Amino acid sequence: MQCIKLEYDVDGENFASAGHASESVKRTLKQMGVSPASVRRVAIAMYEGEINMVIHAHGGKAEAEIYPDRIDIYLKDSGPGIADIDLAMKAGYSTATENIRSLGFGAGMGLPNMKQYSDEMKIDSTVGVGTTVFLRVNF
Amino acid sequence: MNVSELVKQAGFAVFTKGEDRAIESGYCGDFLSNIISRAPDACVWLTVMNNVNVAAVASLIDCACIVLCEGVEPDTPLYERGKQLGLWILGANENVYETAKTVARVCGV
Ligand SMILES: Nc1ncnc2c1ncn2[C@@H]1O[C@H](COP(=O)(O)OP(=O)(O)O)[C@@H](O)[C@H]1O
Ligand SMILES: [Mg+2]
Repeated sequence: MQCIKLEYDVDGENFASAGHASESVKRTLKQMGVSPASVRRVAIAMYEGEINMVIHAHGGKAEAEIYPDRIDIYLKDSGPGIADIDLAMKAGYSTATENIRSLGFGAGMGLPNMKQYSDEMKIDSTVGVGTTVFLRVNF
Repeated sequence: MNVSELVKQAGFAVFTKGEDRAIESGYCGDFLSNIISRAPDACVWLTVMNNVNVAAVASLIDCACIVLCEGVEPDTPLYERGKQLGLWILGANENVYETAKTVARVCGV
């Protein structure tokens, strides 16, 4: 089966480029004729994941595999990891600093949004080692 | 109503210009996670947030235009990114509530 692979470096020091990977994936899906509703779900889920890598984990790598019927996204970082994933998934839970919140992030809705807008989501995280988030969105 | 007509009738400042699309609704908010999941398509997005991520989020949600309220002007990175992405970034002097009333009255949304 045909698969398009895309890979991005997510810069953890640069808020200005945050969203670059999801923006590029969104554009690609649009060009491929994926329905606007699916494109939007992918864009929301991936943007939240990308932002989390920037604000919580000093950046990382984003990989997308686009199949005719779905997209698989892997967000990999070597950040601090998540100690309690159930707690992190709670709507409104955030460890973001005041400085981060003043930029409009840190509502604690990122992981819940990713869950809501994807069809499958899996978090693998080890404290002190890093986090990989898997997202699948069916078209 | 299209964005250019809203600008004229409401007297908003224009910082950057985009495609002259029809406005179908409005959304007020500053937390980017709320906006990307809740703002409807083709909306006027009213905010006081002023940083480059506003452009990324506006592009993600395909809003018709951004209105920076309370006299906020885009900083240079937001201005540059808005121009590059072809977004409307508008400005209003009133607070978000008053600006929303203006948008509702002028656009009938
Ligand atoms: N990639 C990550 N690395 C480390 N911690 C993370 C990561 N993603 C999320 N977290 C933790 O989970 C919490 C909740 O995440 P989220 O729901 O996106 O809310 P927010 O990003 O607004 O804080 C974060 O505050 C942070 O403590
Ligand atoms: Mg988040």
